[in-house]
Amino acid sequence: MLRLAWRNVWRNRRRSLINVAAMGFGLAAIMFGQSMMRSLQFQLIEKATGSFTGHVRIERRDVDELKFPDKFMTDPEPAASLLAADPRVLVWGRRIHLTGLVSSANMSLGALICAVEPDKERLITNMASYLKEGRYLEPGTKGIVMGRKIAGRLDVRVGEKVVLMAQAADGSMGAEAFRLVGIHETGSESFDGQMVWIPLSAMQELLGRPGQANELAARLKNIEQADAAAADLDAKLGPGNIGAMSWKKIDKEIIGIQAFQDGLLTIVLIVVFIIVALGILNTQLMSLFERVREFGVLMAMGARPRWIVRLLIVESALLGLVGTAFGLAVGSALIGHFGRCGLALPVGDAFKYFMPFPSVIFLRPSWGMHSFACATVFLVTLLATLPPALRAGRLKPSEALRHV
Amino acid sequence: MSKPPHAPPLVETAGVEKIYAAGSKVAALKGVDLSIARGEFTALAGPSGSGKSTLLNLIGTLDQPTKGTVSYEGRVVSGLSVDSLSDFRLRSLGFVFQSYNLIPVLTAAENVEYPLVLQDVEPGERRRLALDALRLVGLEHFGARRPDLLSGGQQQRVAVARAIVHRPSLVLADEPTANLDSKTGGHLLDLMEELNKEHGITFLFSSHDSAVLERARRVVRLQDGELTADEVRPDRI
Ligand SMILES: Nc1ncnc2c1ncn2[C@@H]1O[C@H](COP(=O)(O)OP(=O)(O)OP(=O)(O)O)[C@@H](O)[C@H]1O
Ligand SMILES: [Mg+2]
Repeated sequence: MLRLAWRNVWRNRRRSLINVAAMGFGLAAIMFGQSMMRSLQFQLIEKATGSFTGHVRIERRDVDELKFPDKFMTDPEPAASLLAADPRVLVWGRRIHLTGLVSSANMSLGALICAVEPDKERLITNMASYLKEGRYLEPGTKGIVMGRKIAGRLDVRVGEKVVLMAQAADGSMGAEAFRLVGIHETGSESFDGQMVWIPLSAMQELLGRPGQANELAARLKNIEQADAAAADLDAKLGPGNIGAMSWKKIDKEIIGIQAFQDGLLTIVLIVVFIIVALGILNTQLMSLFERVREFGVLMAMGARPRWIVRLLIVESALLGLVGTAFGLAVGSALIGHFGRCGLALPVGDAFKYFMPFPSVIFLRPSWGMHSFACATVFLVTLLATLPPALRAGRLKPSEALRHV
Repeated sequence: MSKPPHAPPLVETAGVEKIYAAGSKVAALKGVDLSIARGEFTALAGPSGSGKSTLLNLIGTLDQPTKGTVSYEGRVVSGLSVDSLSDFRLRSLGFVFQSYNLIPVLTAAENVEYPLVLQDVEPGERRRLALDALRLVGLEHFGARRPDLLSGGQQQRVAVARAIVHRPSLVLADEPTANLDSKTGGHLLDLMEELNKEHGITFLFSSHDSAVLERARRVVRLQDGELTADEVRPDRI
């Protein structure tokens, strides 16, 4: 039966090839779309968590803005020791975020001051890699790193001094001079035009808050563990006013974008599936219609109707297998190619305002989704054959034989 | 053909009527009583539209009579389930059609093997029996060919081999020579006659060609759905 089915699949070579091509390219397009969305999302997440957010954070629960917590943990050390003890954590560091004023000889600007532990921070985020001039912060110094834009507005150069001002713990204005040691350029408006980076210890001194921080940011060995790790840490922290959360809670807009893309992708996939299914249904109907008399001959010879239905299903399964294999090959080749060479995307610019974002994405396969797509294409092929096959099974032999 | 007179005939139709209800009602058969004994070589004659194909379909259990019964060796088969009829045809009947109706993707030998495949005969045995059948129709060297590389006469011989490979008790042939020229048709009848005489295969075939009818030992005539004549020709026995 397999041999007969296999030969039947190829009896109309052109039609079967068209079918296989339709399935193959449909599947390849689906895989490409899946991979593109996932890779885009992956890169987006990578950038967001890698340039600022971190994978897991510990901060006060009552802050107004999770991303830039403005309330202080007076004693972050118990929470810090939890991070230090968690095997999933690759590296963690204390941070203070506070809005303040940065002034040069001729200009004062509002800025978001990010005070970090330099040694750890260069592992938590990749900001150090965006340095275009000078060097990165060193612990215990009074150095400052800022974006190209804000430096331009202040009209300061590496080696020159700026003054930072921020509200200290006692309500007074703390002020301190910092030497500009490095300038970074990420291409992102909000990073390059608003943020300045200084060592944590200098900030604690400026604010009169020794040992305090308003967040602990951790990078995990595997970002997939962010939710679980955050939940564990949160449970260990107890019901007090300090909590742990994963990046998903902080970078909500990315999750929003992701949900939106996934929704879009699902719609596109459904449309492609329907097109593939209709194409197959159509060609299967045509080819079965042409073979009605042959089914009559088989029935006259003593083939049970069920046997004929089974033959047709095996035929379409073979066709589906060939089509799926072809699609898988084309799709993998496409993804492989754009994984090596990258795919230039104009939409990259839209995200650039919020965070450093590449306009080239490197496709990476996401096999979970792809295998789902393969299975669906295969099943759609089978399902599309079912109605005509069942109809063939209900034919009366005498009528089938009269068919021209 | 000597047989005990009381044995039931191989196949018997009793008061068979067939009314086609597509659009206006057509009474294709109006009460046909016909019995065929084992070993016969019988032709069904009659003008176009007289009901030959309809009767052959009913005898071949490819269709159900509107009224009356078809029985094989005393057992009524009209009204059996679709699957039982399939199984019955698989074991007991062979068909030859006007337009050969070989399966185009299979070779001649595979076409002949097909009924045995459906019977779950073991492959080696299957090939041997198919080769035997091809030898009987004189095409043992053409087994590997696809039907489209065979002439019409050769294709019809393959069809005959396919119809006899499983040793059915009855071969039904609806106008088997209608698509062949008279010489090739004559050869096909030689073959059928030989299979009948040498191997005792019962044949019932239809035709409106008098040269073909000449060859039958018994000719049953149909006219407007009724049997009008039934001549046995002792001279040809
Ligand atoms: N499926 C059908 N539906 C409706 N009418 C039919 C059908 N099959 C046959 N008929 C009618 O029944 C009558 C007998 O047809 P049948 O095909 O049995 O004749 P026939 O003797 O085989 O003719 P021919 O020599 O042309 O093959 C004809 O009037 C035909 O039109
Ligand atoms: Mg006819």
